[in-house]
Amino acid sequence: MTELRTAVAARDAGPTTTTKMAVRRLNFHYGNFHAIKDVSLDIPEKRVTAMIGPSGCGKSTLLRVFNRIYSIYPGQKASGEALLDGENILDARYSVNRLRAKVGMVFQKPVPFPMSIHDNIAYGIKHYERLNKAEMAERVEQALRQAALWDEVKDKLKQSANGLSGGQQQRLCIARAIALKPDVLLLDEPTSALDPIATGRIEQLIAELRNDFTIVIVTHNMQQAARCSDFTAFMYLGELIEHGVTEQIFTQPKVQRTEDYITGRFG
Amino acid sequence: MQETLIAAAERRASRDARHDRSFRWMLAGAGLFVLLALGGAALSMLWGGREAFATFGLDFITSSNWDAIGQQFGAWVPIYGTLVTAAIAMLIAIPVSFGIALFLTEVAPTWMRTPVGTAIELLAGIPSIIYGMWGLFVFVPMLAEHVYPWVDANLGQWPIVGSLFAGPPLGIGTLTAGLVLAIMVVPFISSVMRDVFLTVPTRLKESAYALGSTRWEVVWDVVLPYTRSAVIGGIFLGLGRALGETMAVTFVLGNAHELSTSLLMPGNSIAATIANEFAEADTDLYRSSLIALGFLLFVVTFIVLAVAKLMLRQLAKREGS
Repeated sequence: MTELRTAVAARDAGPTTTTKMAVRRLNFHYGNFHAIKDVSLDIPEKRVTAMIGPSGCGKSTLLRVFNRIYSIYPGQKASGEALLDGENILDARYSVNRLRAKVGMVFQKPVPFPMSIHDNIAYGIKHYERLNKAEMAERVEQALRQAALWDEVKDKLKQSANGLSGGQQQRLCIARAIALKPDVLLLDEPTSALDPIATGRIEQLIAELRNDFTIVIVTHNMQQAARCSDFTAFMYLGELIEHGVTEQIFTQPKVQRTEDYITGRFG
Repeated sequence: MQETLIAAAERRASRDARHDRSFRWMLAGAGLFVLLALGGAALSMLWGGREAFATFGLDFITSSNWDAIGQQFGAWVPIYGTLVTAAIAMLIAIPVSFGIALFLTEVAPTWMRTPVGTAIELLAGIPSIIYGMWGLFVFVPMLAEHVYPWVDANLGQWPIVGSLFAGPPLGIGTLTAGLVLAIMVVPFISSVMRDVFLTVPTRLKESAYALGSTRWEVVWDVVLPYTRSAVIGGIFLGLGRALGETMAVTFVLGNAHELSTSLLMPGNSIAATIANEFAEADTDLYRSSLIALGFLLFVVTFIVLAVAKLMLRQLAKREGS
């Protein structure tokens, strides 16, 4: 608990900003299983919001609503509202293409595409913009620099991305997502498959990206939530139990269950 | 006490080493068996066909004259027929199998996947003679009445490729054999493709979807490159079957030793020639020629598979993986 407190104190949470994304009375079903129950939550712009909670609490599911990735599977349904800049993205008229250009996602395990490093980054860009070779090279470099990977890979852009280390692959995936210049970046336990050093670099990167993107991170690691986020949402059994400034959640939780979870009494 | 323990341990170690050695020999024997069987089959056919090769020399391969009465044998018609029917089969079977496999792994609702998958595997288990009979009694009349007249009247008028599709609608012929072969190899190729498509990690596909890719783009840019070598392996499997298939082709190909540009005309294949004529081979030279044909099928299959392997390696080198 004291460790968490010092981790939080070292950060500047900043004043509350405008709402970038929000869900209103959101419900989610996997077939008959009710995974998210009536959740309402605001995601502030250009801040890091962490979602914590025990396995199966619905935090990853909520993340998957934000870019409608769940919709590729039959039998998964979201109802209620999910707003991006005030527009309901769950509306069938909201184009998935447009949504995914604005909301990027990085997954638990690093998953480079079976192609070269350069092509991994260029792949997403090609969907949305026609660029000539030089412009594309510039965009690729820019994305790799932003993801703090450029210096390590600039001499081997033509090589297969599978040759990179796990941490490098994950930064490549982040680069791939931010290459589309999204507004929002969803990170689904981005460091759970990485060693502590690679994890540290990703966390450092999150701190830098916070200036340009609205970030939502799902994590099992409470230290990480305390270190990286401005706001924290605690979910349990599909319900949002508590949501607030990270410092407050970790130092003075208002709900007993939140305190039990962050102090490790269950989880 | 100490010494007996050490002695026992040494005994066990030497026994383990002996067992391990004999196990390794057994495995080496199993591996060697394949090579011996292959080499033995090829050599004995070469030996059985020596009279034909000695009599006709290289003409045996290049001549298209197959005259049992005049005792003149040239294998070009069956070789050509084998290659063309297999090519037609692959041309049709690859896209169809691809579609089936993708439907089953990416699109079909969950309740449909297992029954359709099982049906495809059952299709692979049907004996080829059944395909042959079905081809002859059902497929051939249908094609002759409803499809080939149209093909002749329309495709037959096209410039350049028109001559391939012009001709009397007999029903029996190269194109029909290719179609039946396609139906026969589809289950092989599609079940391999389905199995390897299932090995693509979900997160890889989701990553592509998350960048805004459509289903088609995910398949083309992620699923196919990830499974490329296994997919090509499945295609080889089907190609090998198409090249050597006997009964089904014998029924519908027409057994005509004439080289014809038109795919609607009867032709012959190596396997069908052997099956049709072995009982009639009344002279040593005739019989030897048929065995030599069998050897050529070995060679043709080997060359086709070797070329395909080389292409695969070239592709892998170009992509730098």
